[in-house]
Amino acid sequence: MKHLVEWARQVLAKKKPGRISFNDMFATFKEILALNNQTLDLIANANDMLSGDYIFDRHFIDTFCQEVAEMVHELIYKLQTMVPHKYEELTESFQRIESEINRVLTGRLVSPVEDYILPYEQITRALIEAVGEKNAHLAEIKSVLGMKTPAGFAVTTTAYFAFLEENGLVAVIKETVQSWQEEEIDLEQASGKIRKLILAGSVPKQLKKEIEAAIEQISTPDPDDPDKIQLFAVRSSAVGEDGEHSFAGQYRSEMNLPREKIIDAYKKILASAYCERAMEYRRHMGIGENEIAMAVACQPVIDARASGVLYTYDPVKPEAETMLVSSSWGLGERDVSSAAVADHFTIERRPPHNIQGLKIVRKATALEPVDGGGTRTAAVAEDRQTAPSLSNEQLRDLAELGLKIEKLYKKPQDIEFAVDRDGDIVILQSRQLSMQHQALPRASELAEILEKYPVVTQGKGTIAQEGIAAGKVWKVLGNDDLNKVPIGSILVARYASPNLTRAMKRISGIMTDIGSATGHLATIAREFRIPTIMNMENATEIFETGQEITMDAQENVIYQGLVKELHYYSLAEEEIEETFEYRLLRRVLRKIEPLNLIDPADPNFSPESCRTFHDITRFVHEKAVQELIDFNYYHPHSDDAVAGRLQWSFPLDMVIIDIGGGLEPGTGGTIVPSQVTSLPMTAVLKGMSHPGAWDTEPVSVDFGSFMSSLTRTMSSEATEPQEVGQNLAVISRDYVNISLRLGYHFTVIDAYAVEDIKDNYAYFRFSGGVTDPSRRNRRARFVAEVLKRNDFHTEVHDDLIVGSIKKIDQQGILKRLYLFGILIGFTRQLDVKMVSEEHITLFAEKLDQLMEDYHGL
Amino acid sequence: MAYENKTSILILDDEPIVSKRLKPSLEKKGYEVETFTEGLAALQRTREKNFNIVITDLKMEGIDGMEFLAEVKEHSPGTEIIVITGFATTEAAKESFKKGVFDFLAKPFKIGEITEIIQKAAEKIKQRQAGPDTYHKTA
Repeated sequence: MKHLVEWARQVLAKKKPGRISFNDMFATFKEILALNNQTLDLIANANDMLSGDYIFDRHFIDTFCQEVAEMVHELIYKLQTMVPHKYEELTESFQRIESEINRVLTGRLVSPVEDYILPYEQITRALIEAVGEKNAHLAEIKSVLGMKTPAGFAVTTTAYFAFLEENGLVAVIKETVQSWQEEEIDLEQASGKIRKLILAGSVPKQLKKEIEAAIEQISTPDPDDPDKIQLFAVRSSAVGEDGEHSFAGQYRSEMNLPREKIIDAYKKILASAYCERAMEYRRHMGIGENEIAMAVACQPVIDARASGVLYTYDPVKPEAETMLVSSSWGLGERDVSSAAVADHFTIERRPPHNIQGLKIVRKATALEPVDGGGTRTAAVAEDRQTAPSLSNEQLRDLAELGLKIEKLYKKPQDIEFAVDRDGDIVILQSRQLSMQHQALPRASELAEILEKYPVVTQGKGTIAQEGIAAGKVWKVLGNDDLNKVPIGSILVARYASPNLTRAMKRISGIMTDIGSATGHLATIAREFRIPTIMNMENATEIFETGQEITMDAQENVIYQGLVKELHYYSLAEEEIEETFEYRLLRRVLRKIEPLNLIDPADPNFSPESCRTFHDITRFVHEKAVQELIDFNYYHPHSDDAVAGRLQWSFPLDMVIIDIGGGLEPGTGGTIVPSQVTSLPMTAVLKGMSHPGAWDTEPVSVDFGSFMSSLTRTMSSEATEPQEVGQNLAVISRDYVNISLRLGYHFTVIDAYAVEDIKDNYAYFRFSGGVTDPSRRNRRARFVAEVLKRNDFHTEVHDDLIVGSIKKIDQQGILKRLYLFGILIGFTRQLDVKMVSEEHITLFAEKLDQLMEDYHGL
Repeated sequence: MAYENKTSILILDDEPIVSKRLKPSLEKKGYEVETFTEGLAALQRTREKNFNIVITDLKMEGIDGMEFLAEVKEHSPGTEIIVITGFATTEAAKESFKKGVFDFLAKPFKIGEITEIIQKAAEKIKQRQAGPDTYHKTA
């Protein structure tokens, strides 16, 4: 492409001093397009590192951040070259984001939000560094799994930092920890000093106000007894350790508090971040002090009839395939429920969860809340003392809930629950269960064991998320299949369709014939840590629904049957995703990857609103197109290019800029197709006007599709409505560059066609649509199919399709540009019609028929 | 025991994540793996034991990877060395090969890539063990 830019420079270098010529502007524009694609590729590759299939180190993360910053900086610079002094705020946004990234790179934990308080309804997994694991899990158990959990809110790590700041504790804590590490003072002294300082600190006024307001929000007076004082539980929800389970019981929880004691309890919990055991553990694990932040959970206490703890595996005997429950009457306090006064049940993990063993003890007393706060032991009625504290039905429900939570977090769980007055099970907390390592096979023992199991495939495809999954295959063929997926299945599908994400919370693994490790599905699989292998070519032929397999997506081996040793090995395996480098890469990516700037018509589509590097690239790209048009059409002041608006019978509002020999001499203002002398442009226009290609009748969009277009948040660089976009063609005699926006679609064509074969190329990029992701993806695959049938090299990512071809003769290029023309018209609203997979071939054949009418320009 | 003659591997990288990811993966494939994040400790260990394969980073705190591998090679010429580095330059690669390393891999890399190299190194060692004469000629 460089030669063209050079050529344009030479032929048309007649710019006046002090003013940018169109050639320079267009050259810069093309550089922006190329740089934009490179930047997005670089970001997608970094996300791919999170799959677990790579060895990367700190150096990689540093280099990546540096490279991506340089590219984004270059993009801004180029836009500012096109239009000096217009988007200067971009530089400020860039510097802000860059300094945020640098702060993350120092290893210091940076809260992703500014809020002090987040109600559970607003908490998602992405906010884990604001709210801690405990809060995030509980919120997800409700929002993703739909289970009953207490109302509640998180006091964020932002609040924790504000507390330290307000009381001037940051430096003194750092110094104290340091002098302990240098053995100037002992652990007891260091821990004691820091905790005392925290307890003596005052909660910032604003924070206090917000906590009190949030308590008001979650308070619900007892309808039977309005005067009854409501009690609250305040728990630690720390951030920054390798899995909170290693800290079980170290941090403080304050139970059964009246509301006026909550602020005090909050401070006690913050102080427990510096209890001796936690400090010692962090030193042992090499966790930096600046990675520590304490978020807190606050919930109303459930008026519990019974409460207890569920282990989804027997931690010493996992091969027994049982779950363990302990429970007693009244309120749960962990110590009590695990002590002798609790009933113990052993339940089979396999449905229908038969009860294998039970030990019912006499429960003469139960824990009750006291109105002023705290608890007391109350006598239990004689007839209930020896009755089981959970019914068989409740035990089965509990087992089912436990399996679902385990599926979501991919590891055995230790779950606290209560039975409320309605007899429903309420989940209070869930965390990873620590398994006894002696009970599980070690990696070094596996080699020999694994040899005995039959291997179905090995080394096939690309790992998109590492991990181990055992279960039965569920093949996705039709559209309905996804609603019927049994829990724990391993999905096998032809394509990595974004549609599959619908089944994410129920499945344990994914294999696809075709798909990319950098696409949407891969990103979601990574978020849920679902072992995923893409691009296996013929997984749908190899595997059958119901077939039991074990998928080792660490080594990329699929075994026939259940490899129980591998499965048990994975139960306690330390997750690579929890290592510092993975957490760091995830943290920096949060400042780089998400796209918040979607709609250019939105007033927030501004340099100031850019929150990530992706936002900036999106903004620059959009403005570059717009500026190119403005410069030449609305404010023509360049004499080296001619611009005009295309006028013809098709609904296509397009500005054409001629940079040399693309239009008849003397053309300008309004252009009719016959005045176009550019061969490539003529080919595209003729293709568009091919009978049958341009269906002017609008296709009715069903309500579901319409809603989906409103609620889409995923990027495709192509979601802007028609009114906003501009269609632009930059042409010369042998060249065409088209940026098209039709409805919600975005197309880029770039082609060069001369006698000399080696310079020729044609490029087609298409994305967007209004319907659900799977239909848009089908349309992208349809376009890919058509392009492939015409010898293009193609790549599909979700709803984006890129096709390119090089070094074919001029006639060959022109024929394919004609095909582009047909495709633009034909695919305009085709996603709406793409209701099933069969439509891909169907429409591709239809297009072949249309192309049969082509006999040269 | 079918695995009495396991191929022994030592990994030295000052970033713990490398060993953390590689060790279980290689153990599952039947290798015997020891990992180090500190150069001196690794050096000490290579003096005590001749490993079949040594995997090392080049740029580390406290030790120069190039010196480390040179010493390993001198002490135990039969050890095959695989270099993994985030600062992959042609000079570094050339230098490594001159010192007799088996292969040179730039970080980041896929698990599959290093596994393949290790397999090849292990095969080479096996062939050499099968024909001691050839070993003496090449060593």
